[in-house]
Parts: sequence; structure tokens; C-alpha cells
Amino acid sequence: MDKSGSAEADATALTDRPSLQKILEHFKDCSDMTRRSFSSCGVEAVYFTFLAGNDELLRDLVLPFADADPQEAASVLYRPPYCTVETLGECIEGILNGHAAIFLEDRAWLADVARSVGRKIEQSETETVIAGPHDGFVENWTENLAVIRRRLKSAKLKTVMLSVGEVSKTKVVLLYLDGIANPALVDRMTRRVESIEIDGVYDANMFVQLIDENPNSVFPQFMTTERPDAVTSKLLGGRIACIVDGSPSVFSTPTSFFDFFASPDDYYQRWLLGTALRMLRILGFLITICFTAFYVAITTFHYEMIPHTMLLNLTESRSKVPFPPLIEALLMETTIELLREAGARLPTKIGQTIGIVGGIVIGQAAVQAGFTSNILIIAVATSAIASFVIPSYIMSASLRLIRFGLIILAGILGNLGLMMGIALVIIQLAGITNLGASYLTPVAPANLADAIDTFVRGPFYALRKRPSIAQSPNPVKVKMKK
Amino acid sequence: MTEKLNVFHIALLIYMIELDITIFSLSRVVAENIGTNGWVGVILLSAAALVNIWMYRAVYVVGKGRSVHEIAETVVPRALLIPCYMALSLFWIAVGALVGKNFITLYQMLSFRSTSEIMIFLFYCVLIYCLLVKDLYSIVKATTVFFLITFALNILAPYFSRDWSLTRFTTSFFQGTEKGHSLAGWTEVFIVNIGYELCMFLFPYVDRKSKLFKGVVAGHLLNTSVQLLVVFIAFGFFSFQQLQVMEYPVLNTLEYFEFPFINRIDNLIYCVFLFPNLVSSVMFCYAALATMRRVFPKAKPKLLERGIAVVLFGAGCVSIALNPFGNLLNNAYYLETILAFLIPALLIPAAYRMRRKERSAGHEESGSG
Repeated sequence: MDKSGSAEADATALTDRPSLQKILEHFKDCSDMTRRSFSSCGVEAVYFTFLAGNDELLRDLVLPFADADPQEAASVLYRPPYCTVETLGECIEGILNGHAAIFLEDRAWLADVARSVGRKIEQSETETVIAGPHDGFVENWTENLAVIRRRLKSAKLKTVMLSVGEVSKTKVVLLYLDGIANPALVDRMTRRVESIEIDGVYDANMFVQLIDENPNSVFPQFMTTERPDAVTSKLLGGRIACIVDGSPSVFSTPTSFFDFFASPDDYYQRWLLGTALRMLRILGFLITICFTAFYVAITTFHYEMIPHTMLLNLTESRSKVPFPPLIEALLMETTIELLREAGARLPTKIGQTIGIVGGIVIGQAAVQAGFTSNILIIAVATSAIASFVIPSYIMSASLRLIRFGLIILAGILGNLGLMMGIALVIIQLAGITNLGASYLTPVAPANLADAIDTFVRGPFYALRKRPSIAQSPNPVKVKMKK
Repeated sequence: MTEKLNVFHIALLIYMIELDITIFSLSRVVAENIGTNGWVGVILLSAAALVNIWMYRAVYVVGKGRSVHEIAETVVPRALLIPCYMALSLFWIAVGALVGKNFITLYQMLSFRSTSEIMIFLFYCVLIYCLLVKDLYSIVKATTVFFLITFALNILAPYFSRDWSLTRFTTSFFQGTEKGHSLAGWTEVFIVNIGYELCMFLFPYVDRKSKLFKGVVAGHLLNTSVQLLVVFIAFGFFSFQQLQVMEYPVLNTLEYFEFPFINRIDNLIYCVFLFPNLVSSVMFCYAALATMRRVFPKAKPKLLERGIAVVLFGAGCVSIALNPFGNLLNNAYYLETILAFLIPALLIPAAYRMRRKERSAGHEESGSG
């Protein structure tokens, strides 16, 4: 039989009436499947052993049917929580989701005996906060949806349930606020998710790469977060959020480049403090991509830019180093990246030790051995620290990669190379769109109202409108006056 | 492209196209050709450019927003237009190349004397290609960010106030020119405005809400104000005689900066001027691309862009090899100035003729209907 013929046959089979034999045939060789027979009433049940919970099995399967006669069993099955299933496909999907399929005579029912798997709600490790709520998303989509619902107690919070992955059948839930989110964007996003053709999806950060409009760009194009308060604020801003089952990250769209520099903390502090933090992060962004490259440009080509007072120290520091500044900087940046990666992969306590050994011992030894100059150590360390100021880990990683490109260009063409690198980054950013919206909003297209909530964290009375990038049909969010 | 440009974007784009390498020598050119208090001349020449912009507005209004190519093609046979299109495209690519080449040559005067100019120009061409393959809206978005970086440099202007003196302006006007007043001399100053004429390629990307010509005028006036700032600083900072012998007075003024943590930021600031030069080159190449698309309407995507990048690189290499220190750009800008006035002068009657043709076609249709 050809492929289309086989698919057609499968489709026909899935619409058939379910039966125990067909289910056992479908799941043959699945040794973790359990078949349980209750001889007194003739009830047969099948379920996946490790998806089912003991308490649930006892409550919905063992106690009702263990000593029941056929008439009792039939009357029990027509009451909640048992649901009749009419097709084989429905029955298979239920079993895969942890339900037990129950058969009596020629009819089938499903009972939800799934045990809750995964960890309990706890604080996100990648997005820690000092002030504000400490709960984070977990891998279970139902928990994630529940924490959002708990924050937005409104019937306007709508959900679109989708399934992605031909094999994994991962549950994907789109969330939006009716009347606040742009319906055209919701449709567009739904269509895009439905157009995904892949065997499996395991995480939201992987999922977003399947719906990127610019898949070859180094920049993340969807804002992913592990914090429910951040998602709530995005939903209220008119954006669409998306939960991917099995992932502790939830993403929102449309996203601007500058969204990655905002943290929910900004809103939990006085606006002046929030503004200072945002500016600090933008400064951190500039330092992380330019500082080492600028050092390389100056020490390779533009010594005249160094004031006399600093020149002696710098010359002395560089005099023992056998490499040109470009190689020296690349070596040190690579070492820092090795330390960071090693620290991230190791348990926390060993990771801290690696940081101390690498940062202090190797750094000190490298300078004493004449391997590198101490001023470069300062530049590289400052760049690395500045990269961690950026709240989004994915954006911070992208910027670290860009830094290498800028260092190389600065090593070849000095300041001009650095500017050419910056121009390339800007050109790349200008070409990115997210659900058709410009990635550079609110700079290009310029929007002053959005800028008040981007580069500064304006006082709440000034943040009257939802972000223009969301194209909300109901743009006013704050009605109170000063 | 569904998005339309708005007045703000248009203003920034025109500002960035007009601002290029010529601003560095503007004060000397003004001192040589207009004389004392040459800033008045800068205002007069800016007004002349406004008249030219008004001519493009007439083309837009009479042509009902049609692209300049459509207007030309309704009155001139395509066979005659194709050689013109090719010649204009090559010329605009050459202008783009010369802007880049002059920028790089000047950079080599500051640093990198021993580095191959062709290698630096290759990097420049790569940047242009990266921008050119994007749509106009993306070019405009990049231009907006470039503008913010470049325009921020104006905050350095008050640094000169300590040594700036109004007495250096003298009380005489238009005196002390090297060769007296001539059309060629004033044109040499006028070329600093060149770039606004590329607004004719924005017609397909605007609608009534875009307020195209308000944007063009605003961008041009913003550029004029920057020119005036540059001329004011130079005329009050250096003596008139000094200005006439300085090749690039802006660079000399930048050398004056000295901060406790950094010296000689002229080099760094000059590098920031990569952005406006890049926008100028890209938009001239974009003009060539829009024109070449009329010649090769079925060309594969990115093929024309690649061709333009290769020709751009070739043109730059030829000018570097044949005329490393000569100022071909000025000659190219003279020709561009003539074209800037000639094209609307030809297109306005063409647009009227197109309207008449359409009206008579409309009458025929209604008659037959």
C-alpha cells in the first residue's frame, strides 16, 4: 500500500468504534500498558501503568468495579467521572493522556486516572527576583494555565488548544484577552502553529524557533519567561501568550528587541529606581557588545586615544604579552565562555568553585605569566558581568556571540571595524519582524508613548496605553490621573 | 510591502541621505566660494533645494502618486527608456561607490595608511548589500537607528563655546572668495544638499497620510540646520584664512576634544559618520535597483542586488586605482545636481501628458460603454 493509502486506512480506523481488541492491537508491544479484568461484572480496563496514580485507580476503577455485578457496573459508568467515547482515535488519545479506557460489552468509557507528574510550583532559577511574586512555571501545562487563570480572573481570558508534533502530540495553548488582543494577530498565530510539521516538540524555546519569521537570525524573536507575573502583564498588554506542555517557559508575542531588557521587578519598585535599572541594563548591553572590541581597536590601532596618564600603565601591562590584542582578547573571551558554560552545567556548589578557580586563580596566573594584560582581564570580566545584567538568558547568550564578531572586526579595522559591526547588528535587527511587527519598536517605527515604558519605566499614571506593537483594539490601559 | 512610510521616517531618511562625506569640507568650501559670513549662502542654497523639492511635489501631484518610471513609460517608448535606465542606474551606483570611496580615503588619512583601501571598501560593499537585499521599510528602520546615533553627536557642539568668538565672523558679507563668485563655486556648496531628489523613488511607498513632502522638507531643513551649526562653529572657531586652507575643518575641530578618560575622539566620531555615508550609498544603489527592476522585471530575487553590489565594488576599485586622491565625487555630484533639476523638469510635462491620455481613454471607455 502506498503512503496516502496507508494514511487513509489509519484515518478510517481511528473513526471506528473502539473495542478492547483494537486497543490492544494498537498498543501491542507496549509493555508498560496494564490490562485489568473485573470478572464479577465483565468490565475490562486498560491504562498506562506509570501514567496512572494509585489513589485514582483505587477511586475510579478498583472500588466501583471489584465486587460489582454487570448491572451495577453499567449504572456506575453512566455517571461522572466516566465519559463515553465513540471513536477509536478518541480512546487512544485518552489513554495516551493517562486515562483508563473501560470496556463493558460493546461500549467504551474513559476515566481520568492520571497522576500529577512533575515538580511543584517553585521559584524560577533563571529569572530570580528580589521584590515581587516568587512562583515560576513548571513543566505541566495545566499547572501553568492555572497560575495564569488565578491572576486573571476574567472570562475574557480565552484559550485555544492546539496539538503540535505528529508523534509527540504536544499540547500547545494560546492565551489572549478577548477585546484587548488583536483578533487578526490571534488568527495569524493560530495558523502559524497549525502549519508546523514536525515529529515532536520538547520545549517552548525550541517551539518558537519553528514559528520564527527570521529563522537564521542570531536574535531570539519571541520573549520566553518562566514567570507568571510577566506573562500576565504581557496578556494585559494585548499580547498573545503560549504554553507548551512539558516546558517551564511560556512565550509571548509580538515581541520587540527592547522587551528583553525589561524585568517584572521594574514595576515593583519606585518608577525612578525602575528607570535607573532599565538604563543600567541598556548600558550593560552596550558594554557587553562593545567594551572588549573597543579595547582591541584602541590597543591595536588607536593608541593616540588613550590619555597619557593611562598610557604608561597600559603599555607596561601589555609589554609582556606575546600576542596581538585580537588574539589575546579572543583567548580570554573563550576562557570566560568556557568557565561560564562549565559553571552552568555543574551542580551549583561546584559551579561556584569553578567560578572562583577560573576567575581569580587563572586570571591572576595568566597576568603573572605574561599571557594576558590585566587591563584586558578587566575589560573581559566587565563585558561578561554586563551580559548577565540582561534579564533574558537567551538574549544575553546571543549578545555574547555577537561580541566575538565585533572583536574580530575591531581587530581588523579598528574603530571603523567596530562601527561596521554595529551597523551589521542594526541591519540585522531592522530586518526582523514578529507577527509582522517591527522588532525595533519603539525606536523604528518611533513611538514616544511606548518609549516611556521601554527606555524608562514611567510612573503608572503616564503608562496610559498598551504597547503599540500589540495593535490592541482597546489601547487604553490606565484611566486614572495623577 | 504593505506598510507605508510615515512623515517621521521620510524626514530622517532624507536627512541621512543628504548628510554625507561632503559635510566635512563644507566650511572650507563655503569660505572659498561664498566668502565671509557664508552661512547666509548656505541658507540661500537650501532654499534653492526647496524649490527643487517643490518640483518633485508637482511631479507627485500631477502624476497622482504614480512612480516616476510609470510616468516616464506612458509618454516615452520603452525601447528609448531602457538605455536611459541603464545609464542612470550605472551612474547612481557610481555615486554610491564614490561616497564610500571618499569616506574610506579620508579614514585612511586618519589611520590605516598601510591597509589596502580595496579591502576596507569590500567590507563597506558587504554592508550595502546586506541593507539592499532588505525591503525599503527595513532600510528606513535601520536608518532611524543610525540617525539617533549620528544626531546624538550634536550634543558635543557646546564644547567649543569657550574658544568660539562671534568677532571672527566679521561684519562683511560674501567677501574674500578665492576666485570671486561663480555658478561653479556656488554649485560646489550646493552639492552638500544632494540626496533629497531620491524622494522620487519613495512615491510607491507612501499614501496621502504619509505626508511625503512634509517629511522631505523637514529632513532637508534639519540637514540645513546641521550644516549651519557646522559652518557657525567653524567660522567662529577658526579664522577665515585658516578655514580656506584646511582640507576638512570638521576633522580639525574634532581634534580639539579632550576628556580625562579618552583623547582624540575625532577618530571615533569620524567612524560614526560611517552610518550617514552608508545610508547615502544604499539609497543611491536603491535608486539604481528600482530603475534596473524596470529593465529586468523578471529577474530572480536578489540577483539584481548582487549585480549592483558587484558593480559597486568594481566602481569603487576603479576609482581607487585610477584616482586615489582626486575628487571624482564632486564631479559626480555636479552631474547629479543637473539631473536633480532636469528629471522633474521633464517629468512634470510627462505627467500632464499621462493625465490627458488617461482622461481621453476614460472618455472613450465611457463613450463606448
